Amino acid sequence: MSNAGHRLLWTVIALLLVAGGAGALTASLGTLPGADPAAVLLSAELVDRWRRAAPWSTLAAAVAGALFALAGQRLLARELRGPDGTLRGTLSHPGRRPGRTRLATDVLADALARDLTGNPGVRRARVVLTGAPPHPDVWIRVDLTADAPTAGVREHVRAAVRRFAATTDCQPAHLDVTARIEASHP
Amino acid sequence: MRTANRVASLLLATALLLGGAAAAVQALLLTLHRPTPFDTSGWLDALSGTRWRDPTVRAVAGGALLLGLAILVAQLRRWTPVRLRADERDGWYLHRRCVERRLADAASAVPGVRRARVRVRRRGGQWRPRVRATGDPAARAEIEFAVHQELRHLTAPRPARIDVRLLPRRRPA
Repeated sequence: MSNAGHRLLWTVIALLLVAGGAGALTASLGTLPGADPAAVLLSAELVDRWRRAAPWSTLAAAVAGALFALAGQRLLARELRGPDGTLRGTLSHPGRRPGRTRLATDVLADALARDLTGNPGVRRARVVLTGAPPHPDVWIRVDLTADAPTAGVREHVRAAVRRFAATTDCQPAHLDVTARIEASHP
Repeated sequence: MRTANRVASLLLATALLLGGAAAAVQALLLTLHRPTPFDTSGWLDALSGTRWRDPTVRAVAGGALLLGLAILVAQLRRWTPVRLRADERDGWYLHRRCVERRLADAASAVPGVRRARVRVRRRGGQWRPRVRATGDPAARAEIEFAVHQELRHLTAPRPARIDVRLLPRRRPA
């Protein structure tokens, strides 16, 4: 899940906590119209109604529990998954003639990462492809050595992406490169 | 904050999954009149015996309100960017912490400067390095020059201004 997604999720949870907390506090202080602070949280009338509605009430609780569990499972899967929208399987695009070209996404990303690490200034490179072929978005992270000439590495990255686009016939719609540079030697 | 959000979301997802599954199993067994794994009579008695005006209810409600407000402030305030845009044209970004460390190293290497700390913020699309250093106050110009040189080496955009705050080294009493 993206940072913006997390931020939205926790803003909604915070608003629910504020609304619930404020509601309960005003009811407890007797300032909420229609609420009696001397009343119990779970009245005997409510328990009777719940028991009279059985088995539909318990069945509804089972469905609600299952929905919560499903929401938890979906959230867990999104947390443990890689970046949103990462292309998996193959990049495929139709040609001018009959037939289609299919390319394994992992192989393409690895090939570009290997090309990037060909420069001695690049210690590590990670490539992620997202979006729709044949114009994917290319996300690159490069770890540079302390003595790497940044201008030279930038030119190397540009050239590697040009080679990638020419070889795969996939012109990136969007290119995003993040460079992390080691601390300089003392 | 990003890591805290991620960890909190993982915990929330696990709690939802386990709690939801347990509630579903419990409710389903109750529907079928079978023995249930959890005894909920204690919770029912506690909720039926607690009044809205009880101090426990007020404490829990106040805690939820404060927690919600704290999370809201943490989410809505402006976060420090993880990376800084170096160039509009080729989508090149530099990791902010790395840049700050490199600039601090450059400032510390100036003769007369003992220790330096650098923070880089964006203001109006421009970088704004702030240097806090301990050392000779006369070294200000040299620190600015060293930071400019390092930024040029990193192919970063030239900042409009570099804030340098030099604290003189304390002499032993």
